[in-house]
Amino acid sequence: MEQVNPTRMELMKIRAQIRLAEQGKDLLQGKMDALMKELRPIARSVTDSREELDSISVDAQRSLLAAQAADDSVALTSASFATKRHISLHITGKNIMGVPVPVIQKLSVSRSICERGYSILGVSGRIDEVAEKYERETDLIIGLAETETALRRIGGEIQMTRRRVNALEQVMIPELKHQAKYISITIDEREREDLFRLKKVKKILERKKKEKKRVRILAEQSVSVQ
Amino acid sequence: MDIGYVNARVRSMNSRLLAREELDRLMHKPDIDGVISELERSPYRPEIEKASVRYSGIHCIENALRADLARTSQKILRMVRDEPFEKYVRISLNKWDIQNIKTVMRGKNIHVPVEEILECVVPAGELDEATFVELAKKPDVRSVIDLLATWEVEYAMPLTQNYDKFKKKRDLAVLEYALDKFHYRRVLAILKGRSYDEALVRDLVKTEIDITNIKSMLRMIRDGVSPEDGKNILIEGGNSFTAAMLLDLIGKRSFRDALSALATTPYSGIADLSGARADGGNISVLEKELDRFLIRKGIAVFRTDPLSIAVVIGYLWAKNNEITNIRIISRCINAFVPDEEIREELLYV
Repeated sequence: MEQVNPTRMELMKIRAQIRLAEQGKDLLQGKMDALMKELRPIARSVTDSREELDSISVDAQRSLLAAQAADDSVALTSASFATKRHISLHITGKNIMGVPVPVIQKLSVSRSICERGYSILGVSGRIDEVAEKYERETDLIIGLAETETALRRIGGEIQMTRRRVNALEQVMIPELKHQAKYISITIDEREREDLFRLKKVKKILERKKKEKKRVRILAEQSVSVQ
Repeated sequence: MDIGYVNARVRSMNSRLLAREELDRLMHKPDIDGVISELERSPYRPEIEKASVRYSGIHCIENALRADLARTSQKILRMVRDEPFEKYVRISLNKWDIQNIKTVMRGKNIHVPVEEILECVVPAGELDEATFVELAKKPDVRSVIDLLATWEVEYAMPLTQNYDKFKKKRDLAVLEYALDKFHYRRVLAILKGRSYDEALVRDLVKTEIDITNIKSMLRMIRDGVSPEDGKNILIEGGNSFTAAMLLDLIGKRSFRDALSALATTPYSGIADLSGARADGGNISVLEKELDRFLIRKGIAVFRTDPLSIAVVIGYLWAKNNEITNIRIISRCINAFVPDEEIREELLYV
């Protein structure tokens, strides 16, 4: 246990600390509950998007195989030259219970056949299908990037808050209470010692007083005998 | 060199095409190395051996197939050089030139390295590999078009005419559509005669236009493209449909109407396909049927007049189909697709 001064002042200070720690614990518990409430729909949406992404990914790979087989991989690469472009995303942020999470502006990467940059007369429907499915996959990945980052950050914050609550609940508050108890026991002990000492002094004083009285009586008796 | 001699040589080449049993044997190979070994015992051996120096697995097969196609096309072009029927062979092979010019322009538009562009070029047309090497070395789309114009390649004309539009929109599709439309316009202008050869090639080109238009129409209906935009995409000169008829169907935006319009045409087999599949937006099934129709028709001309260009044209279709089938089999075996599914994927056997 940390060295503490067993004084009334210290006891008051520790009791104030205990009150503050309990208040903090309640606040953190509240924050954790609120974060959990935010986490649940995000986690559900991430699970759904992941499942959708998996199924689209399998589908896209199958279409890719069909296009590579029937149209030749060079036709596919050539079409990809025409469709190559940069995707710029506008990312802002918002705060959920003090946790900063990203907000990605919903920009659809999917394009119609007239917007892919090639003539559809020379590109088969199979290649178009591959482009379409991978565009959908990219759209999902962008959406997932937002929700998954939010999920990871909120999850991390919940974990940190739980650690803090646990530290307050399991370590700090019991420690402070223990210190308070120690101080209070020490003060009580000291009071009892003082009381005992006072009684002892009183007893001595009374004995001395009695002794004096007895000496005086004896002195008076000897004078009267003379 | 008369047509009889050319046909005799092409017939002998045709006899070396893989038979159904040989394709079945390929299909039953357990892995890609098995397919390579089997192809080494076929007429593809020299190309497989050459490709195996640089590539392995599926890439070895694909490169060998491309090289074989290019070699066969060049061989036939040499056979018919300076003959009156040379133009029909050139017309049949021009689709490769168009595809290659598009590839070079696409590559130049986004500054792809020369080697990467050349990897995607299949010199199986009139323009040879050296031409594309020079084109790919040019710094941008403008200089590619200029070089084509300097060499007096006909395809430079639509590209030069539409370059300003491309520059304004920065959309390569403008040049590609111009190129595609010019190709079909030019081919139909060449095939105006009344000879048997001319009629045969014209019929094939017109069927190809119909099929390209039907495929475009189905894709436009699925994507909800407006008839105004569709006007720039559809090609005039088909056998059964005019662009106006197809635009009308695009305007209705219904797969069912589009498919029922096919019922009275030679493409009625496609209309019989399950409407549910088409409604689901999956038009690749319909496209595959249309491709099969065209390939069957192309291959079937081989057995028509033995003293016409039909033999050469039919052989080119059969060769192209064989290469596609070998590629499908190899890709499917590489991805461990079951035999039944490979059979379904094959375009035409």
